[in-house]
Amino acid sequence: MAEDKQPPAVVEGATGGDVEEEVQPTAKSAEDRKAAAALSSLDSNREDESSAQVDQDAVQNAFHSLSTAGSKQAEVKKVKVDAADVALLVEELELTKAKATELLKAHDGDAVKAINAYVAAPAA
Amino acid sequence: MPQTLSTREANLFRTVIRHYEDKQYKRGLKAAEQILKKNPRHGDTMSMKALIMNSQGKTEEAFALAKEALTVDMKSHICWHVYGILYRQHKNFDEAIKAYKFALKLEPESQQIQRDLAVLQVQIRDYQGYVQSRFAMLKAKPHLRQNWTALAIAYQLEGSLEQAENILTTYEKSMTNVPLKTDQEHSEALLYKNTIIAERGDIKRALEHLESDCKNCLDRLAVMEMRARYLGQLNRKEEAAKAWRALLDRNPEHPEYYKGLIEALEIDEKDEAALKAIYDEYAAKYPRSDAAKRLPLNFLTGDSFKAAAKSYLTNMLDRGVPSVFANLKHLYSEVAKKEAILALAEEYLKEHKGSEQANGDSSKGVGAALYFLAQHYNYHLSRDLAKAMEYVEQAIELDPKNVDFHMTKARIFKHQGDTAKASETMDRARSLDTKDRYINSKAAKYQLRNNENEKALETMGLFTRAETVGGPLADLTDMQCMWFLTEDGEAWQRRGNTGLALKRFTTIHNIFDIWQEDQFDFHSFSLRKGQIRAYVDMIRWEDSIREHPFYFRAALDAVKLYLDMFEKQQASANGTNGTGEATNGEDAAEKKKAAKKARKEAQKAEREAAEKAAKQDPNKATAKKDEEPKKKDDDPNGLKLAATTDPLGDAMKFLTNILQFSPKNIEGQVAGFDVYIRRKKYLLALRCLNAAQALNPEHPRVKEQFAELQKAVESLDDAQSAKVKEVLKAKFSS
Repeated sequence: MAEDKQPPAVVEGATGGDVEEEVQPTAKSAEDRKAAAALSSLDSNREDESSAQVDQDAVQNAFHSLSTAGSKQAEVKKVKVDAADVALLVEELELTKAKATELLKAHDGDAVKAINAYVAAPAA
Repeated sequence: MPQTLSTREANLFRTVIRHYEDKQYKRGLKAAEQILKKNPRHGDTMSMKALIMNSQGKTEEAFALAKEALTVDMKSHICWHVYGILYRQHKNFDEAIKAYKFALKLEPESQQIQRDLAVLQVQIRDYQGYVQSRFAMLKAKPHLRQNWTALAIAYQLEGSLEQAENILTTYEKSMTNVPLKTDQEHSEALLYKNTIIAERGDIKRALEHLESDCKNCLDRLAVMEMRARYLGQLNRKEEAAKAWRALLDRNPEHPEYYKGLIEALEIDEKDEAALKAIYDEYAAKYPRSDAAKRLPLNFLTGDSFKAAAKSYLTNMLDRGVPSVFANLKHLYSEVAKKEAILALAEEYLKEHKGSEQANGDSSKGVGAALYFLAQHYNYHLSRDLAKAMEYVEQAIELDPKNVDFHMTKARIFKHQGDTAKASETMDRARSLDTKDRYINSKAAKYQLRNNENEKALETMGLFTRAETVGGPLADLTDMQCMWFLTEDGEAWQRRGNTGLALKRFTTIHNIFDIWQEDQFDFHSFSLRKGQIRAYVDMIRWEDSIREHPFYFRAALDAVKLYLDMFEKQQASANGTNGTGEATNGEDAAEKKKAAKKARKEAQKAEREAAEKAAKQDPNKATAKKDEEPKKKDDDPNGLKLAATTDPLGDAMKFLTNILQFSPKNIEGQVAGFDVYIRRKKYLLALRCLNAAQALNPEHPRVKEQFAELQKAVESLDDAQSAKVKEVLKAKFSS
C-alpha cells in the first residue's frame, strides 16, 4: 500500500539544473533517441565507474569516521539589545532586523556607537 | 493523514508526474483532473496540478491551489515540496528553503528534495546549511566521488579549509585501485585539493603535493604555473626561474611570465640594461613575439627608449598593423615618451614621404604613419583636433576606401562635439565594409550618440537573427547586448523619453539578475563534470558581478533619471502654488507631447505586432500547441516605469547595488547622497558624504553636499530621535 501512494520523487522541471536531464524524451527521430540514450547512459557509466574504483566498505568506514563537529560555529555575543534601538536602525539605516541586531550587538547595544560605526567612511 | 488512491489512480498520478517532467502540461492537467474527479481532496494531485498551472503561467491560481493542497494534506512531502518549488521559482528563497526543509522532515530519504534544498542553499550562500545538506547527501551515497568533492567545496566556501582537505584525503585513502591517467575528474580533484592546501597558506606542502600527486594532471599549464608561483613564493629562485622559462617557451606573449622570471632572477627594477637583456633574449628566440619587443618600452627611458621605440614603431608601420597606436598609448602618461613617440612618427613619415608605395598597399608605410599621427592628435593626452583632421584627410586621400581611416575621422568629429557629422562619417565607414560587425556596431553607437535610436536599431538589425520574434531589439535583449541597451537608454534619456530610458536601464539590471540565476544550473552540473576549480572561481565571481562597469553605468543613469523625475514632480507640485509658472508650463507641455508621442508609438508597435502575429499564425500556431506561451512584456515602452509616483523609492533598487558593489566610485556616493537627503534619511546621506569625502575631499559636489546636509541638520524638528541628532550634530560641531 505504501508503494501505491509513493510516486517517484517530484522533479523540478526545466529549471532543475541537470543539463543531461533536460534531454527531451520525446525525441523525434531515431537518431535523437539514440543520442539521448547515449547521453543518459554516459551518466550511469560514470556512477558505475567511480563505485568500481572504491572499496565500498572502506568508503563507508571513512564516512563514519567523519564528524560535523569541526564545522565552524559563529560566536554569539550575549548582549542585551533594546528593541526600540533595533527599530530605529531599521528605519534610519534601512537594515534588515537581523543586520540591525547584529550591528547593535557588535557595539554592546549602544545605538549611537553603532550608527557612528555604520556611517563612518570605510578605512581605505 | 496519508491519503491513498486506488491502483488505477495511483498509476494515473504517475503519468501526471511524467507529463509534467516532459512539459506536456495539457495532458498532465487532464490526468490530474481525472484523479480529482474521484478524489477531489487528494493533496498530492492538487499540488501537482498547481505545479503544472504555474508552468503555464497562472501563478496566482497555482499558489492558491498549492496552499489548499497543504491544508488538505499537511503531512505530504509532495505538497511541501511543490510549495517550495513555487516559492523558489518566484525567488522567495527563504520561504522555499523552509518548505523544502519541512518536506525533508516528512520524507528524509528523498534524494530529490535534499538536492533541491542543497542547490538553493548554495545559491543564497547559506554555507552552513549547505554543509549539512551535503553531509546528508554523502551519507546517503558515500560511494559517489562527487558527493565527497561537493562536501569539500561546501567546507571550503564556509571557510573550513582544513575540513575540506580532510574530506578529500579521506576519499583518496579509500580508493582501492589507482584511477586512469585520463580520468578528468580525478585529475581535477587533485588540483582542487592542491589549491586548498595553498589557500591554507602552506605553500611548501602545496608544492610537495603538486610535485608528487599532480605530476600527471591533465591540465599541464595549470600545474606549471602553480609550480612556478610556489617556487617563487618559497624563495627557491633558481628553480623558479627555470619554471618561468619553461612557461615562456610555451607562450612568449604572456607578460606575467616575464614578470615572474625577472623576480626569480632578482634583477633590480632600475637596471634597465639587465631587464632589456631578458626581453631581447626572447625577442631573438621568438622573432614573431610582440610582447618581448613591446614590454621593454614600459621601463626604458631616454635614448634607449627612443632606440627601442623606433625599431618597434618602424616595424609596425612597415607592416601596417592597425592596432599600433592602441599598443602604445598607455605610454603617453609619461610626457617624455609621448614627445619621443611623436617625433619618431613624424620622422618616419618624412623619410618615407617621397618614396613610392611599397607594393601598392596604402595601409602600410606612409598610410600607417598618417593614421598613427591622426590618432595621436585625437588622443586626449595629446589632443589637437585640427592637426588630427589634417592627417586623417591626407590618409583618406591616399586610400579613400580604408575603413579605419574613416572611423578615426568620425571619432575626431565626435571629439569636436559634432555628433551629427560623427554619426554620418561612421556610417560611411560602415558602408565601406558591410560584412564587418565591428564597424557596424561602431556606426550604431555613433547614431545613438546622435540620438538616432531608430536608425541605430536598423543598423544593428543588419547583424541580428532575422527570425527572432520581436525584431532586432528582442534579439539584442536576448543576446544581452548591454552596450547597445545602455547607449540606447541614454539616447532616449536625452530625447526626453523617460519611459524607454528607464526600460533599457531596467533591462540591464535584469540581465545581471539572469546571470545570478544562471548559477543554478552549475551547482550540480559542474560537480558531475568534475570541473571544480572553475566552479569555485565562478561562485566567487558571481558574488561581485554587480561591480561590473556596465552595471554601474546603467544603474547610475537610472538613479540620476529618477532624481530628475522627483525634482520635476516637486516642481510641478510647487507650480500649482504659483512659483516658476513659466518653466513648468513649458515642462508640462513637453511632457504631454512626449507622452502623446510615446502613446502613438506604442499603438503603432502594437498594430505591427498584431499584423505580424496574424501573418505567422496559420503555420506556427499548430506547431507550438503544447508549448508554454512565451511571456509577453506588458510594458514594452516603459510607460509604467515612467508613471511611478515614488521615483526615489524605485531608484533604491539600483542605488543599493551601486553603494554595495562600487563603494569606491565617488559618482555613486554623490548620487546616493542626493537620493537619501531627499528621502530625509539623513544618516544614510551622511554615510555617503563621509565616503565621498574620504575618496576626494576636493570634489565640488562634495562641498556643496556638506553644506546642504549641515543646513538640513540645523533645521531638524523634534520628531527625529535624539540619538540620530546626536550623530548628525557631531559631524558639524567639530
